[in-house]
Amino acid sequence: MGGFRKNELAEKRGYTYRLTRRQLLVATSAAALAGCAPGAVTPSASSSVAPGKELKIGLLLPFTGVYAELGNSMRRATELYLKQNDQKLANRHVTPVYADDANVTATGVAATQKFIDQDQVDVMMGVVPTPLAYGIRNAVHAAKLIFIDTNAGGNALTRDTTNCTPSCKSPYIFRASFSSYQISYPIGDYLSAKGTKEWFLAYANYGFGTESAADFTTGITKNGGAVTGKVAPPLSNPDFAPFVTQIKNQPTKNVYSFFSGADAIGFIKSWNSLGLPAAGYKMYGAGFLTEQDVLREVKDLANGAITSLFWAVELENAENKKFVADFQKSYPLLPDVFAVQQYDGMRALDEALKALGGDTSDKDKVVKALEDVTFKSPRGDFTFDKNTHNPIQDIYIREVKTQNGQTVNTISDKIAKVTDPGK
Amino acid sequence: MRPLLRWALVAAAAVALVTFPYWSAPWVSRFATTLVRDALILAMFALSLDLLVGRAGMPSLGHAAFFGAGAYAAGITGQRLGTDQLPVTLGAAALVGALLAVVIGVLVVRSEGIFFLMLTLALAQIVFAIAFQWTALTGGSNGLSGVGRPVLAGIDFSAPDLMYVLVAVTFVLAALVIWGLARSPYGRALSGVRENERRMRALGYDTARLRLSAFVIAGTIAGIAGALSAYSTRFVSAQDAGLANSVRAFVTVLVGGAGTLGGPIVGSALVSLIERVVPSLLPTDLRISEAILGLVFIGFVLFARQGMVGLGRSAYYRVQHR
Amino acid sequence: MSPELVFQQALNGLSFGALLFILASGLSLVFGMMDVVNLAHGAFYMLGAYVALSVVQSTGSFWLAMLAAPLALGLLGFVLEPLLLRRLRGRHLDQVLLTIGVSLVIVDVIGQVWGREVRSLSAPAGLDGSVTLIGGVYPVYRLFVMAFGVALAAAMAVVYRRTRVGMLIRAGVQDAEMLGALGVNTNRLFASTFATGAALAGLAGVIAAPVFGVQPGMDTDPGLLYSLVVVVVGGLGTLSGAVAGSVLVGPADTFGKVLFQDVALAVIFAIVALVLLLKPTGLLGRIRIAR
Repeated sequence: MGGFRKNELAEKRGYTYRLTRRQLLVATSAAALAGCAPGAVTPSASSSVAPGKELKIGLLLPFTGVYAELGNSMRRATELYLKQNDQKLANRHVTPVYADDANVTATGVAATQKFIDQDQVDVMMGVVPTPLAYGIRNAVHAAKLIFIDTNAGGNALTRDTTNCTPSCKSPYIFRASFSSYQISYPIGDYLSAKGTKEWFLAYANYGFGTESAADFTTGITKNGGAVTGKVAPPLSNPDFAPFVTQIKNQPTKNVYSFFSGADAIGFIKSWNSLGLPAAGYKMYGAGFLTEQDVLREVKDLANGAITSLFWAVELENAENKKFVADFQKSYPLLPDVFAVQQYDGMRALDEALKALGGDTSDKDKVVKALEDVTFKSPRGDFTFDKNTHNPIQDIYIREVKTQNGQTVNTISDKIAKVTDPGK
Repeated sequence: MRPLLRWALVAAAAVALVTFPYWSAPWVSRFATTLVRDALILAMFALSLDLLVGRAGMPSLGHAAFFGAGAYAAGITGQRLGTDQLPVTLGAAALVGALLAVVIGVLVVRSEGIFFLMLTLALAQIVFAIAFQWTALTGGSNGLSGVGRPVLAGIDFSAPDLMYVLVAVTFVLAALVIWGLARSPYGRALSGVRENERRMRALGYDTARLRLSAFVIAGTIAGIAGALSAYSTRFVSAQDAGLANSVRAFVTVLVGGAGTLGGPIVGSALVSLIERVVPSLLPTDLRISEAILGLVFIGFVLFARQGMVGLGRSAYYRVQHR
Repeated sequence: MSPELVFQQALNGLSFGALLFILASGLSLVFGMMDVVNLAHGAFYMLGAYVALSVVQSTGSFWLAMLAAPLALGLLGFVLEPLLLRRLRGRHLDQVLLTIGVSLVIVDVIGQVWGREVRSLSAPAGLDGSVTLIGGVYPVYRLFVMAFGVALAAAMAVVYRRTRVGMLIRAGVQDAEMLGALGVNTNRLFASTFATGAALAGLAGVIAAPVFGVQPGMDTDPGLLYSLVVVVVGGLGTLSGAVAGSVLVGPADTFGKVLFQDVALAVIFAIVALVLLLKPTGLLGRIRIAR
């Protein structure tokens, strides 16, 4: 090791090695720390912005942890879109850079910083959990990085808020998924207008659940409805029997629920095994309660549940039929709503780039191009609200039915062109 | 080696560390600065835990409670009091970390071994639950966003390079404090408590007070580390106070080498490497960075119990006594 | 709360407690015998559930899964003990740390092999209906779980008190070194105990699956967290401790979550903290003789 002075004690004793313990320690620590910066962190060649050059898209998705299924689904959608378009968006060849946030906010924030500083991506997409979206909002805005959120539905991400708390919109942030308002308020408005005024709420006690319950409540109170009570299990609750038992022991039969994934499965199974359908209780909810991942496991136990979402596998339009068929051909799986969100995000970017001739050098022009994008998506007509950058989309009222041996969400009604209020 | 030379080397290393973004710029991207910054925060957090685990023999699995509390304190005082001043927000973080450590410490200090482990875990989970549910104060599950810029003596430290310097300087100061404590009679008394508490009591030491004071010092430093994390990411998540963060620090201490100064530092370098760099080197289908960490951990426990520092030492001795 | 509601929630609490007992019994056994808190217990539980998934998928039989999962996990435990833990015999803290590493590896391997989707298991045919009780309809499976829990506890008590193996285990708990000096193959005894603990975790994975589900993260929540809570609250290392812990924690968690909804997350840990502060070695725990 060059640069170290003579070790006198060693010399006196006749040893030939010159390092002392402290030198070794310091050298090891420094080497270990500096070792964090091998080729893996040298900056990549700056991405050119001229048309025809490579377009780097950073995709921050969960590939491990409770949301891994969503991340994998969204990656499949990305790869399907690229495959269908020759690995290109407009005239730019695409290099996707994937990062796993593992549902740990700190990991996602660091990964975003890596996208900005190290990979120097042109566009960022993904982000499943809302806290992560809120956590990276400022970094993305400061770096003027175009970020297309393809899941996180926290209302604040596309709204004007006081003190930007818990978050607020940014010109560079677009959302290709939904705001939780859009899947909660319209169904509340719709059902209470049809005469159902008394409601009981059951929702997972975290940001998404409380927000959905609150927006639903606004929807029903608008038409003179009222909430008579609630149960709010913690997120990732193992045993739903106690909560469903509470529901069974109160008179209000119409229950609006917000659960997703494993919680939705547990809730629906308990709902059935405790005999709620026979006792006249009716299950309503935001769409995630009965999405593909849930229906695959509970099957006909969810029959009769009425939920609202901007898409369903059964949606009868040409785009959706083609999308579902193509997805099934590439993977032996039905697509889910998360795949649709990601697919639409890719499409929106594609359309914007086409309008720009592939030129991403002027961020403000890219923003404008994205704002002007409009196309037919598997969910129907897709366009961004110019004010909020949230999608303007139709919300479908769906009912779970078993047909042809499959349990699916069938469309029973539609609320057209729902926008998010923006504040 | 002459003490003066040794000190000069350490000082040089510290200066190199603090000025890292500036001299490394030609070779690495700015992300390296972010990576090292986060590793230093973890190192500081692990150093404070090592005071408990390595020196005082108190295996705490709830140390993230102080980290999280400090992070929230820094963010919330900045927002509520409308101030950016570093002394105020960092002071609040240290104070909250200390106070919480007193409260929890008083409750846990008489337990030992697995019961101490479980009690610290349970109490930390209560802190996590409060952070997760008390939306009005902490932002709840959505986290606390918009943490202010740290300003000291008119300098805004939120620029990436300056933020790194702030973290690195604080880290060096904390390491000095812990090093000083370890070498002092106090530190030796702590080691005594770890080795044989009964004998220490027989010798007249108030072991409960010793352990409590260690707990509070560790909690304060962890709180400061948490504040630094809040300043660097401008965001506080409830997970910062969660079990996974406590386990992470624990693994870092053990892999690096408990009871040494270099251990938590080296451990945090390794853990950061495995967590942040390895996943991007693996093919996207192969998500096994946790398994790699687990195997590394198993390897250390089986073959290198004193951690990397221990490995380094035995390598040195083997070489020395050729 | 009306009396019917209290009764129903009590049933919920007790059936939840029964599941917790089946889950925690293995952890308690291993600690009682070997002084090791097996922090991979949750990972074993998770692996048992995924093995059950595969078995049910290929054979359609839940009962076969109930045999296969404990067998598979027992085998794994029988291999792991001599491979890893035996090298650290006597170094209890190190053995605990080792199990942390083991759990990290097992969980990632499960994700790679079985995927990371959210899955579930249905109760077996015959047990998937509901019966009418006071206050309404109640799922048969939860009654089965309660009966199974009681039967398991009784069986374990019989083995422990009235069989040679049980005697060896009790002796080993008292003084393993002496037992070895008396000519008993303690290596085989420890390996078998660890294997049994793992098998019990695997069994819990199958039985709890229709209620708790099968998904990423289940190794910690509910797996390890609830196991630790039960054994620490009840008193580490004894069968009666595990029973006492489950009987307390099950209903307390159930009622606590429903009555104090906003702090539901904290309820279970508040229970732990409270018990440990009042009785530091758990409800039925004894002060262990230092070795």
